[in-house]
Amino acid sequence: MWAYNLLVWKAAVRKQILGYIVAVIVIAAATAVLRVFGGHINPTTVALAFLLIVLFVAAAWGSKPAVLAALVGGVCFNLFFLPPVGTFHIAEPENWIAFLSFLVTAITAGQLSARARRRAEEATAARREIELLFRELQESFEQASQAKALKQSERLKSALLDAVTHDLRTPLTSIKASITTLLDDQRSIRNGQSPTLLDDVGRQEMLEVIDEEADRLDRFIGGMMELARIEAGEMHLRRSWGSIEEIVSAALSRASSLTKSHRVEVELEDDLPAARVDERAVSEVVYSLLDNAAKYSPAGTVIRITATRAGAEEIQMSVEDEGKGINVELRERVFDRFFRSARDGDVSTSRLSGTGMGLAIAKGIVEAHDGKIRIESGQTGKGTRVVFTLPIGDGETPSPSSPEKD
Amino acid sequence: MECKPRILVVDDEPQLTRVLRTGLSSHGYEVRVAADGLSALETFGDWHPDLVVTDLAMPNVDGLELCRRLREISTVPILVLSARGEEKTKVEALDLGADDYVTKPFGIDELLARVRAGLRRAKTESSTEPPQTILKAGELLIDLETRLVTVREREVRLTPKEFDLLLHFMRNPGKVLTHRALLAAVWGGDYVEQNEYLRVFVGQLRKKIETDPASPRYILTEPWVGYRFNSDER
Repeated sequence: MWAYNLLVWKAAVRKQILGYIVAVIVIAAATAVLRVFGGHINPTTVALAFLLIVLFVAAAWGSKPAVLAALVGGVCFNLFFLPPVGTFHIAEPENWIAFLSFLVTAITAGQLSARARRRAEEATAARREIELLFRELQESFEQASQAKALKQSERLKSALLDAVTHDLRTPLTSIKASITTLLDDQRSIRNGQSPTLLDDVGRQEMLEVIDEEADRLDRFIGGMMELARIEAGEMHLRRSWGSIEEIVSAALSRASSLTKSHRVEVELEDDLPAARVDERAVSEVVYSLLDNAAKYSPAGTVIRITATRAGAEEIQMSVEDEGKGINVELRERVFDRFFRSARDGDVSTSRLSGTGMGLAIAKGIVEAHDGKIRIESGQTGKGTRVVFTLPIGDGETPSPSSPEKD
Repeated sequence: MECKPRILVVDDEPQLTRVLRTGLSSHGYEVRVAADGLSALETFGDWHPDLVVTDLAMPNVDGLELCRRLREISTVPILVLSARGEEKTKVEALDLGADDYVTKPFGIDELLARVRAGLRRAKTESSTEPPQTILKAGELLIDLETRLVTVREREVRLTPKEFDLLLHFMRNPGKVLTHRALLAAVWGGDYVEQNEYLRVFVGQLRKKIETDPASPRYILTEPWVGYRFNSDER
């Protein structure tokens, strides 16, 4: 470090020495030129020329070389241009005034100009420093926000991984336990054990569990694929003019085993127009909402499905249950992938048999139709009401004589 | 006729409880099922099961809380079902008083073996026989009166701490003992974080009692959890 300082100091000294040399040489040269060409030159012109040189030296090398330039200039002015020329003697009092004025003006102007130069240098240095700081700040901000985003996406990834692992492992655990129970039973039969470990009912039950859990795994994987497609923006709707009644009844019949312990009420407005939608996809939305409603509300309560016309261009549908409801602050998050609410306000890892993807998929489908989906409290202030809208379609009116199918 | 041992299965996953009910019943156990910790505590109070099998993640009262509350009122063997990757919760459950764990997915044989071990342990612990002065596991013998330890009839010299550690292991055969529980039992409460300490002593003990310390027969490692003393004949 000290070696570097020494170098800087040496450079500065060398520069200042150059300033002194230049000051002396330029004044001497100016004197020579003015003497050769000037003849009887006006002392004022000489004084101004010297003043210019002093200013120049001050601007280039600072105050000390400028003082030297002023002093050398004063000597030359007196010696060569103020009568009697060739001596340091000044005859006339007015020339004394001229000489002293030159000296004071030259030194003062040199000082001022040098100070201005220093200020400018300082300002430049300060600006550079600020720019540097700003750049550093900007870089560190960028790095910080990148790190944050990375961390967030990593946290999200690991949460997703946990959810997926759990959803895959739960059915696998039941399957593995069932199969090993059956294997155990087979072994006992081979060994001629009597009575055998399982009776027919038990064997049947184990096989049913395996069957159902295999289906559950398949549903889960199907949901993952669907979700991946929606997220990649690759969802291809097969739109056609579909009847809302048909969509609802298809969903109801598919969900009948899920809702058998609930009372389902359907309220469809009369004369609902047909809508240009992907009927299967919308039916899937209604099915998932029914599934959720049944899962999150006690047996014997009512699940209500409604469909009404909302304005000239939309149909609004809703599925409502009489369960515990969802806290206001969670109403957005329930549409996140794998989010499962225990509907008691906290994020739960509890084993509700859903895949945690139903609402995320429903949202994807509704939004692909340019509709909106949201969660409200039930009409009595209790329970959950999921409302979604669907545009009727392209501004065309369906003509009953030429139903468009694509 | 001896009455059937009672097992309470606590899990909120209905498919798994269906299987466990059938699987355990077929092996002569009487089984009841609870879907969460709270109803498990109720059933426990009315029915007095001989062993509890519980999942960890459940609504209302979860598995950990269930272990804690059961330990306040009973010494019933508790078997925890946990998933791989839940080591921390597993250790917590064991420290709260669970006796053993099975990692999901598991085969019914593994669960049955753990259930048998748990019931056997509970039986010896509650037996009214006078306390034994000689403990035996395979070819390993401890005479409590003379503090003499022999392996294959050859005497083994143990330091006092090694002796205490081995004794603690032999008094809890088949049970998973967490690092924390072992350190607290042998060295006292101030040492519960000193896992390396324990590792050194277990290493020394294995050199003295195991035929092949690299693949031990008696003191088995339960990765990231603790150790288990295996007293079974081979």
